[in-house]
Amino acid sequence: MADLVPSRIEVRDLTLMYGHDTVLDALNLPIPRGKVTVLAGPNGCGKSTLLRAIRRLHTGQKGQILLDNVDIASLGAKDLARQIGLLAQNPSAPPDMTVEELVRLGRYPHQAMLQPWSERDGAAVNRAMDGTGVTGLKTRRIGSLSGGQLQRAWIAMVLAQETDVICLDEPVNHLDMAHQLDCLDLVSKLNQEDGRTIVLVLHDLNLAARYADQLVFVHEGRVRALGQPEELMKPELLAEVFEVDAAIMTDPVHGRPICIPRGRARAAVQEVA
Amino acid sequence: MSTLAVSAPAERRFGIGAIVLIIVGLFVLLTLAAIAFGSTWIPLETVAQVILGGGEKTEKLVVWQLRMPRVMAAAIAGAAIAFSGYLLQRITRNELASPGVLGVVDGAALGVVLFLAIFSNESNALTVSVAWQPLAAAIGALTAISLVFILSGRQSSSAIRLLLFGIAIAAVAKALTTVFMLIGPVYQTAQAARWLAGAVNAISWSEIQIMAICLVPTVLLAAWLAKDLPPADLDDVSSRSIGLNLPVYRIAVFFVAAMLTSIAVAFVGGVGFLGLIAPHLARLLVGRARFAGILASCLIGAMMLIGADLLVRVAFTPLEVPAGTVTAIVGAPYFLFLLMRKDKTNG
Repeated sequence: MADLVPSRIEVRDLTLMYGHDTVLDALNLPIPRGKVTVLAGPNGCGKSTLLRAIRRLHTGQKGQILLDNVDIASLGAKDLARQIGLLAQNPSAPPDMTVEELVRLGRYPHQAMLQPWSERDGAAVNRAMDGTGVTGLKTRRIGSLSGGQLQRAWIAMVLAQETDVICLDEPVNHLDMAHQLDCLDLVSKLNQEDGRTIVLVLHDLNLAARYADQLVFVHEGRVRALGQPEELMKPELLAEVFEVDAAIMTDPVHGRPICIPRGRARAAVQEVA
Repeated sequence: MSTLAVSAPAERRFGIGAIVLIIVGLFVLLTLAAIAFGSTWIPLETVAQVILGGGEKTEKLVVWQLRMPRVMAAAIAGAAIAFSGYLLQRITRNELASPGVLGVVDGAALGVVLFLAIFSNESNALTVSVAWQPLAAAIGALTAISLVFILSGRQSSSAIRLLLFGIAIAAVAKALTTVFMLIGPVYQTAQAARWLAGAVNAISWSEIQIMAICLVPTVLLAAWLAKDLPPADLDDVSSRSIGLNLPVYRIAVFFVAAMLTSIAVAFVGGVGFLGLIAPHLARLLVGRARFAGILASCLIGAMMLIGADLLVRVAFTPLEVPAGTVTAIVGAPYFLFLLMRKDKTNG
C-alpha cells in the first residue's frame, strides 16, 4: 500500500554520531505523501533524533534527506520552515507570553523583512487557533494553561506555520487519556481533511497502531521494519525490538491490532539474570 | 501583572504606550533637573533658555561646558548598557544575564589598568594623553569577549556555555586588575580606582562625540537584530524549527551586546548592575513588548546613571564620588532580591 504513494520525504543512508556513539546508522526511510507515519522504538533507539534530522536540526549528519527529490541541505532556514513544521518534545516559551503571541510565531518563516504582517498571516493564525480550539484562550498567558491547553496552543503554533509536512515528537507525553485522544484525533483530522503528511514519534504502541498509516520500528539506529500496523504488530518483532513478550489482538472498536504485554521477552530476562 | 493578563490586547497596548510616555516624561524632567542642580542652582526656565540658545555667558558656560557633558554622557552610556542588558536577558532567556557576566566590563577594566601601568613614568605621571584611556578600555573589553567566543568554540551557540566562559574570563580579568593595581604606582591606582567605580564627571564633548559616533552603527545593528527576538524566546528546537538560524543569530546578538557595553564603559567606566536592573524594571513595567521594552530599558538605564551622578553631585560635594558606586549600592540589593525571589518560585 504505502509504496504506491510517491514519497514526500526520502531519508537516504543517514548516519549521525554524538561524539563516538552512532545514533543513526546508515538509515533509510521513505515517508509517503499524505499519510501518517509513526516512528516507534525503545528508548534511545534514535527515533527522536531521526525526527529532528528530518527537520535538519542536527549538524554533522551524513547522508541525504530529500524533500520531493530536493536535498534539504540546499534549502534556506525559512524556506525549509515553510515546508516542514516540527513540534518539539518539551517545547518551552516564556510564561508571560500569550497564546496568540505564541501562535503568531508560527508565521515567522512567512514574514519578509519589509512586509512584516499580512492579512494572510492573520487568517492562518485564526484558522490554527480555531482548529485546535484555543481561540477562547488567546489572551491567556502560557504559564496559566493546563497541560492539555498548552499542548493545543503549541500545535496551533505549528499549524500556523502552514507546512505540508508536520512532525510531532511525542506529542501526547504528559497528557491524560482524553487529551491524548484529542491531540491525536486532531492530527489525524489534519491528515484526512487537508492531506498533510504527518510524522509522529509515539511511545504507546497501541496508539501508534491505531493512528499510523505507516508504522516504523526504529531499533539501534536503523529501521528494523516498516509497513502497515497489521504487518508490524507481530509477537516475534515486538520481542526483538521492544524486548516484550506480548499477545496481539484486534481492537474490536477500530479493527486495529493492539498488543497486551505479558512481561519482558524471555531472551532479555535471561540476559538480565 | 495579573491585571494585564486578563485585559484585552488593545487596552494592553494603550497601557504600554501610556507607560512609555510617562517614562519619557520622567527622563526629560530628570535630565533638566540634573542640569539645574549642582554647586550653583540654575532655575529650570534658565536651563531651557540656554538649551534653546539664550541665557547669559556664565550660565551658558555652566550648562554647556560643565553640566551638559556629564548628563549627556550618563544618558548615552546608561542607555547603551541597558540596551545591551536587554538583548542579553532575552537571548539567554535568563533575567539574571547582564553585560557584566560576559566579561566585557572586567576586560575593559584590565585594559585601563594595563594602559596606566604601561604609560606611567617613574614620577607617577602619564607619558601619553589620558584621552587614550577609552581606547584601552575598548580594546580590553573586545579582547575579553573575543576570548569568550574563542574558548566556547563550537559551543558558542549555547547560551549557558557562553555565560560560563564569560564568568570565567571576567574572574581572570578581575584578578589581573587587582594584581596590577596592587603593584602599580599610587597615581595609577587612584586613577584606575576611579575608572573602575564608573564616573562621568571628567568627560568632554569630544569624548561624547566619539562615543556617539561609535554607538550609532552599533545601535542600528542592534535594533535590526531585535526584530528576530520573538522567535528566539522559544526553546532552541522550536525557534529553529520555525526558521530562525539560532546559532548564528545568538552569536550576532552576543557580539552586538558586547559592543554596546564596550563602547559605553570605555568612556564612563565600570558602571555596575545597570545592565541587569534597567531591562528588568522595563520588563516589569511594559511586559514583553519588544520595542517598548528596548525604549523603556534605555530610558531607565539613562535615568539611573543620570540620577546616580546627580546624587553624588548633590549629596557628596565637594567630594567626587564616582556614580558607579551609587548604581552598585542600589543594584546589588536588587540583584539579591531577584536571586531570592527566583529561588522561591523555583522551590
